Amino acid sequence: MQVRTYDFNKLAQEALEDHRKARGYNLRLFLRKKLAVFSTLVLIIIMLSAIFAPWVAPYPEQGKGATNLEERLQPFSGKHFLGTDIYGRDLLSRVIFGARVSVFGGFFIVLMAAVIGVPLGLWAGYREGVSGAIIMRTVELVLSFPTALVAMAVAVVIGAGTVTALIALVIPWWPWYTRLVQGEVLSLKNMLYIEAAQMLGYGRVYILLRHLLPNVLAPVIVMMLLDVGPAIIAIGVLSFLGLGTQPPNADWGLMVWNGAQNLLGEWWIAIVPGFAMFLLVTAFNIFGDSLKEILDPN
Amino acid sequence: MPGALINIENIKTYFPQKKTMTGKVTAWIRAVDGVTLKIFTGECLGLVGESGCGKSTLGRTILKLAPLKSGNIRFNGKEIQHLDDRGFQPFRPKMQMVFQDPRASLNPKMTVLQILSEALAICPEIDKKQYAQRATELMNMVDLRPEHLFRYPHEFSGGQQQRICIARALATQPEFLVFDEATSALDVSVQAQIINLMADLQKRLNLTYLFISHDLSIMEHICQRVAVMYAGRVMEIQDADALFASPRHPYTKALRDAVPIADPTKKDGMAILKGEVPSLLNPPGGCRFHPRCPHATHRCKNEVPEADLVKSGNWVCCHYHKTLWKKGFLENERNK
Amino acid sequence: MSSKTQQEPILSVQDLTVSFEGSRGVVRILEGIDFTLYPGEVLALVGETGCGKSVTAKSLLDLIPQLSRQRTGRVSFDGTDLLKLSNRELIRVRGRSIAMIFQNPQSSINPVFTLGEQIFRLIRMYLQDAIDQICKQQNLKQKTAIGLIAKEKLVEVGLTETDRLLKSYAHEVSGGMAQRYKIALALLSSPEILIADEATSALDVTVQAHILKLLKKMSQKTGTAILFITHDLGIAAQICDRVAVMYSGRIVEIGNTMDIFQKPLHPYTRGLLEAVPRLGEKDPLRFISGMIPDLSNPPQGCRFHPRCDHRMAICRTQKPIYKNKNGDHAVACHLYNAKAAG
Repeated sequence: MQVRTYDFNKLAQEALEDHRKARGYNLRLFLRKKLAVFSTLVLIIIMLSAIFAPWVAPYPEQGKGATNLEERLQPFSGKHFLGTDIYGRDLLSRVIFGARVSVFGGFFIVLMAAVIGVPLGLWAGYREGVSGAIIMRTVELVLSFPTALVAMAVAVVIGAGTVTALIALVIPWWPWYTRLVQGEVLSLKNMLYIEAAQMLGYGRVYILLRHLLPNVLAPVIVMMLLDVGPAIIAIGVLSFLGLGTQPPNADWGLMVWNGAQNLLGEWWIAIVPGFAMFLLVTAFNIFGDSLKEILDPN
Repeated sequence: MPGALINIENIKTYFPQKKTMTGKVTAWIRAVDGVTLKIFTGECLGLVGESGCGKSTLGRTILKLAPLKSGNIRFNGKEIQHLDDRGFQPFRPKMQMVFQDPRASLNPKMTVLQILSEALAICPEIDKKQYAQRATELMNMVDLRPEHLFRYPHEFSGGQQQRICIARALATQPEFLVFDEATSALDVSVQAQIINLMADLQKRLNLTYLFISHDLSIMEHICQRVAVMYAGRVMEIQDADALFASPRHPYTKALRDAVPIADPTKKDGMAILKGEVPSLLNPPGGCRFHPRCPHATHRCKNEVPEADLVKSGNWVCCHYHKTLWKKGFLENERNK
Repeated sequence: MSSKTQQEPILSVQDLTVSFEGSRGVVRILEGIDFTLYPGEVLALVGETGCGKSVTAKSLLDLIPQLSRQRTGRVSFDGTDLLKLSNRELIRVRGRSIAMIFQNPQSSINPVFTLGEQIFRLIRMYLQDAIDQICKQQNLKQKTAIGLIAKEKLVEVGLTETDRLLKSYAHEVSGGMAQRYKIALALLSSPEILIADEATSALDVTVQAHILKLLKKMSQKTGTAILFITHDLGIAAQICDRVAVMYSGRIVEIGNTMDIFQKPLHPYTRGLLEAVPRLGEKDPLRFISGMIPDLSNPPQGCRFHPRCDHRMAICRTQKPIYKNKNGDHAVACHLYNAKAAG
């Protein structure tokens, strides 16, 4: 047998470049879709505004809740681009501050749901048995109730407020991830590469983490992306019902409730936050869909 | 005469079919129902049979990947059937398997280097720093380029993927390899490449093979002896060149006659074997083959035939094989 | 066997080309497929994975759902060009004049209905005359007559315990039984052509022997022509009258079975025959070096040239055309283009 020495560093470099080129191809594919690019821009704008709210909002104090009663119920104007609400607060600033709750709340719910749901799904799918059965029955139990109802019940018990509302929403949300992952694991469990790892003597935990988790991640990420929109709406619903953010803090759902009474007259007070929610959710859905086409082209 | 590397005695592998509420099993699928044979060091033993005969299960049982119900397995003289995971771990590097579907045998999210390293990691004597070097040597052995180490399985063709699987099986420097239908998913020309590679590696590294397949035609090209399995039992074992030229069991003859030969001048063979493959839940009593055997008698229905030694390492399980042989019932009708 | 070339072909495929838009440009899965099928004969379409044999069969009946695909050429069947028919008109051809059986019989049986329900429905569709006749002759109700016909058809394909079978579902029957059932269904309408797409690849070898014999017998009995798609040269040798060898979307050689196996012309055919393992031979297997080409970027000229031992300069640039060696045996290779007199 010939002995040839290979320069691994050089080989590794070449392989990495190939890999980057392949990723670059995906990026180009994404950029080709105008809608995807547009929605990404919208998302970036909204998220940046949310992060830098105190600096971006024209009237940060009003955004946070300070009243400005002399200028109440004003329509769109040069001074207040989106008008003012019943307390005279600049709606643009309110929307920007409200975005904080919606955007990061949405992320939080989805992330927590995945963090709780995915490991449970991995376990239930791989291990099955009694513990798996308990997990799946719990999943089915929670899923048999409408999301909003469960969240409301929890919120009533633990009290209203932004943080409590988010926690309350994680509870009906995690079972979706468990069910998704359990299903994937059930079908992946019989793959030969799992058997190959078993043949090498690797234990259950290693196989779960090294072989099953990475192959289950793709559909999970897709579900997470497409869940952010509904999560944002759910936060809005809870706040609308008074179980979420409490006044005077800004929150889109709360703002809609506030403006609901004046819908026939000063309609912008309710429509503006509603439209903001629509914009954010749609942008996320388009972004998620485009990403899904690349990640999971089935 | 080399010793037996693998020595299995009366192996039974059953899978539970029905359980009561308390977990007690009421019905078993008798995938392997009493197999005794030896695999000699340095030989390639073929294991052939149709679907449901238990050949894949037998291969997995030897590697302790299937639940053994009873029987002994000896590797190099040492009994391994009773060992738990820890006790068996030192044996794992010595016995490896190549599976049927190369695409499904490789984790799509791992590079080839990672896959090979995972196998190398179970050998405590190999240092982590040597993994890359060892992996390159393995790639050379299976005629793949070292650049391929950094690629993902889906970037390779079926034949190349199977080579990667073979490289992985060789990583731990095994003495015994089981090939479970390893060429069945490959095209004819690719299959030829892989078989030649396997034969070459066997010679160079002095390996012992168990080659499982449903395809009789390739057996002679790589195996020295071939065992024929039916309904969980071995019907006969013979030297490869003798087995299909002059089978001693009616089932082997039926199997051979059913294969369509790629030669249009040899037609009108394909004799028909009546009946269906038996259920493994409730297999026929006596000789498993008796319901479909054209020569079955009352004795075949009630008495299980013992292994009758024909030559060293060659035996047949049939009450009447001597008579059938003498009367020429087992000859090749096509060559008449 | 009488010389089939004197008869009128029942199916004539001319220059069939199928391509579609892939992510990296146009992919031509099939290029210039040319062959004829005569009544009552069994034609094998052999090739390895990715050569396009399955696509050819499905293209005849437009069973490939790709939206962006293009088909050109001509497929003459019974006087009409199948490629020009609308979907509605094609529906009348599928299953009725041209039937098809597939690789996994159990998965192509509707799992929701019993086998009986499915065959009864087809009998009602195609054999109404026979039903009426039996009703009149034996004074039976429609339902009973249909049952009788169903059992008769099942027995014809070698199935036993027909009562139990008619009440079973797809997953309750074995592969062999399911495939026989599918053959019975396919032949109900007395089609002129039966396309068998790897119909025995998923079956055990002893079951396969049954099915192959059955197909040959039924073909001789009903006069149905069979287009048998397979990668198994043994099957081609045993039951087929003519063989067409495909490689990378093209037919490279076509002729009588005897000629193809005893006097193969195309280097690929020769390579394939040498690589086939045969019972009774112990020589090391010869194989064709190289790999099957990527269809989105195939080699220029003859698609086989990178792997061919006999390649010449012209093979790299020009696509070889079919040349009839002697009427029945055609090959697409530059080795013969110069010599052949047509």
